[in-house]
Amino acid sequence: MAEDDVHVEQNNARQMGNQESRREFLKQALKVGGVVGIATVIGGPVGAVKALASTETKQNATDGSAINWEGWEDPQLNVNDGWNNWDKILNPDNLPIYHDHFDEIKKVKPKHHWVMVIDLRKCVGCQSCTVACKSENNIPIGYYRTWVDVAEIGSTLQTSLGNTVTANGTYEQQIKIRNIPKLCNHCDNPPCVTVCPVKATFKRADGPVLVDPRLCIGCGTCVNACPYDARYINPISHTADKCTLCVERIDEGLLPACVTTCVGRARIFGDLNDPTSEVSKLLASNPVQVRKPEMGTDPQVFYIGLNGEISTENDPEAENLIYTYTMNTNSTAYQQLAGKSLLK
Amino acid sequence: MGLEQVYWTLPIVAYPFISGLIAGSFIVGSLSKIFGQKQYEPLAKLSLLVTLAFILFAPVGPLADSRQPSRWWELYTRAHIPEAPMGLFTIIWTTYVIVVIAEIYLAFRAPLHQLSEVTPGWKGRLYHWLTLGSTGMSEMRLRREHKWLVILAGFGIFLAFSFHGYIGFIFGAIKARPLWHNALMMPMFITSAILSGIALMIIVYSIVFRYFSFHRKVDSALVDGLMKIMIWVLLVDLFLDVVDILNSAPVAYTDQATASGFAEIFLHGPLTGAYWIGQLGLLVVALTLALFRGIRTSPLWASVASFAALISIWFMRYNTVIGGQLQPKVSQGVVLYSPALFGRGSMQIVFGLFMFILFVFSLLLMVFPWDDEATKHRLFHSTQLTNHGEQNRSTNKMLEH
Ligand code: SF4
Ligand code: SF4
Repeated sequence: MAEDDVHVEQNNARQMGNQESRREFLKQALKVGGVVGIATVIGGPVGAVKALASTETKQNATDGSAINWEGWEDPQLNVNDGWNNWDKILNPDNLPIYHDHFDEIKKVKPKHHWVMVIDLRKCVGCQSCTVACKSENNIPIGYYRTWVDVAEIGSTLQTSLGNTVTANGTYEQQIKIRNIPKLCNHCDNPPCVTVCPVKATFKRADGPVLVDPRLCIGCGTCVNACPYDARYINPISHTADKCTLCVERIDEGLLPACVTTCVGRARIFGDLNDPTSEVSKLLASNPVQVRKPEMGTDPQVFYIGLNGEISTENDPEAENLIYTYTMNTNSTAYQQLAGKSLLK
Repeated sequence: MGLEQVYWTLPIVAYPFISGLIAGSFIVGSLSKIFGQKQYEPLAKLSLLVTLAFILFAPVGPLADSRQPSRWWELYTRAHIPEAPMGLFTIIWTTYVIVVIAEIYLAFRAPLHQLSEVTPGWKGRLYHWLTLGSTGMSEMRLRREHKWLVILAGFGIFLAFSFHGYIGFIFGAIKARPLWHNALMMPMFITSAILSGIALMIIVYSIVFRYFSFHRKVDSALVDGLMKIMIWVLLVDLFLDVVDILNSAPVAYTDQATASGFAEIFLHGPLTGAYWIGQLGLLVVALTLALFRGIRTSPLWASVASFAALISIWFMRYNTVIGGQLQPKVSQGVVLYSPALFGRGSMQIVFGLFMFILFVFSLLLMVFPWDDEATKHRLFHSTQLTNHGEQNRSTNKMLEH
C-alpha cells in the first residue's frame, strides 16, 4: 500500500514537472513568436509607408530634380468650378450607371453613345496624344492612359538587288512601320467592371467606363482583368486609374484632349446614336476592327486598317514592337536589347 | 498602362496558401464527426484551433496587397455579389469565421465549464467568460450540442469547398490572363487545399502532441491513417497537374496565348525550376516518401514528407499567382519580377503574417483545453481535492457538534 502511494506521488510529481516545463516552453514560444510577429507586422507597414512616402509627392525627373505631381489631393484647379466634387466630375447629369448586366443599358435609351474611331492610315506615331493626355489628366511619370505602340512588320532580306549596300552584302528591307494608338476601349461588356468587389468602377449609360477614386480599395483585380492593360494603379492616389474619355470635357461639349491634339486627325470621337456624326459615317463606310475581338469585351474604340499583321505574340516574324518611351521596359525582351545598361 | 508589372505580389501568394490550410485542416478536423472516423477524435479540437488561427488572417494577405486597405468596410457596404468573385469571397469568409467560432464554442463549452468550476482565479473566470456563462451540463443538452456540432461541421465542409474553390475562381474568372483562365483552377485549388491541410495537421499534431500534450505521445497509427489519406489526395493533385500540363503546354491542344505563355514561363522561363522541381518534384517526393510504411508511422518522417507537400503547394500558389502575371498582355518578352525583401508586398510581410498566426495559435493552445487527456486529469485531480475539502468541512462540522 505505502509503496503504491509513493509510486503515485512520484508519478504525480513527474506529471506536475512535465506540466511546469511544458508551460515554460509554451511561454517561451509565445514570447518569441509574439515579439517577432509584432515586430515584423509593425515593421511591415512602417517600411511600406516609407516606400510609399518616397513616391507619394515627388518623382524624379531624368536630371534627378524632384517633380511635384499636381494631384487630386492638391489640385491647382479652381475648386469653385467643381473640381473637388467627384460626383460632378464623373457624372454631372446623374446618368444611370452599371456594374454588371450591361445589356440593360439599351433599355434606358441613353441620349449618347460615345465612341472613338482610330484611322490607322493617318497615324504618324508622333505621340502627341500621349503627351496631351498626360498633361490634361495629370498622369504620374511612367504611367499612361493612352500610348502609341510602334510595330515593325516584315524583315530585312539579303538579295543581290537590295538598295542597302554594306561590306557584308546587299540587303532589301521589306519593312512596314505600323503605329497603333492604344487606350481603354470603353468596352460594352467590360470584364474590369464586373470583377470589382466594391462597385468602385462602373460603366455610364452613355459609354465611358470610369473609376470612383473615393471607393476603390486598390485591390488590382480590374487591372489584371483588363485584356488590354488599359488600367494601372495610380501611385499617387493608390487607386485604379484609366482613360476616362476626358469625361469632364465631353460633358461640357469638348473633345477628349487626345482627339483635339491629333496632328493627323487619326482619332475621331463622336456619338454613335447620331447617324450624321463623323464616327457613324466612318463606321458605315469603312471596314473596322477592334482589338482582341476573341475576348468578347465588345470594344467601343474602332480601328480602320488594323489587320491581322498586328498581334502581341512574341513572334519576331509577325511583329516587332519598337521601344518608344511608352513601351514596356520591364521585360526580358528589353533586357535582350541591352536595355539593362540603358536603364541604369 | 503602366509598365507591365506584377500587380498581385507575395501577400496574394500567401492568401490562397493560408486559405488552403484552413479548408484542409477543417476537413481533417471533421473526419471524426462527419465521416465517423473515430480514431481521428484527438485531432478534432486541435484542428479547430488551427483553423481559427489561420482563418483570422486569411484576408490579411489581399488587404496587405491592396493599396487602400483602410477602406475594407466597402467590401461589406458595397459588396458586389454575386458578380465579383472577390465580393462573394468576402461573404463566404465572414460566414466561415462565424461557423468556426460557433464550432469552437460548441466543442469547448462543456470542458471549459467544467474547468471553470475547478480553476481558481482569473483563469477560472476566463473559462467561465468563454462559456458565455452557460452552465448546463445535462445529458440532453450535451447531446443536442453534439448534434449541432455535426451539422455545423457538415456546413463547414461545404463552406471549405466553396471558400477555396472561390479563391481558385478569383483567378479562373480573369480571362485576360491566359494562364489563369482555366476551368481546372477550382478543382486544383480545392485538392491542393485539402492536401496542404492534411500535411499541416500531420506536422502540427506530431509537434503539439509530442511536446505539449499530457501523455507526450504521438499516436503513430493516427499519423499513418492521415498519411494514407494524403496519398490519395496527392494522387488526385498529381493527376490534375498532369491534366493541366496537357491542357496548357502542347500548342496542338490549346490556344496560342496559353501555349506560348506556358512555354515562355514554365518550360524555358523564369519559373521553370519552381514549376518542375518546386511544384511537381516535391509533390512526387512527398508521394514517394508516403508510400513507405516505415515513414508513414514515424511522426518525424511523416512530418518531413508533409513538409515537402506543403512547400510544393507554396510553389503551386507562387507559380499560379506570379506566373500568370509574367505573361505580358500588350507588350513583348516576359515581365520581370523578383520578390522584394522589405516593404510593400515583400517577404517581410509574409513572414510577419505567419509569425502572427503562430502567435495566435500558441495563445489559443494555452487557453483552450484541446487535450482531452489533460482535461480529464485536471478534472479528476481537482475532484479529489474538492472531495478532500468536503470531507474536511464535514469533519469540521462534526467537531463543532
Ligand atoms: S479596355 Fe480594359 S479597362 Fe477599358 S473597358 Fe475594356 S476591359 Fe475595361
Ligand atoms: S482596384 Fe479598385 S476599381 Fe479595380 S477592382 Fe479593385 S476596388 Fe475595383
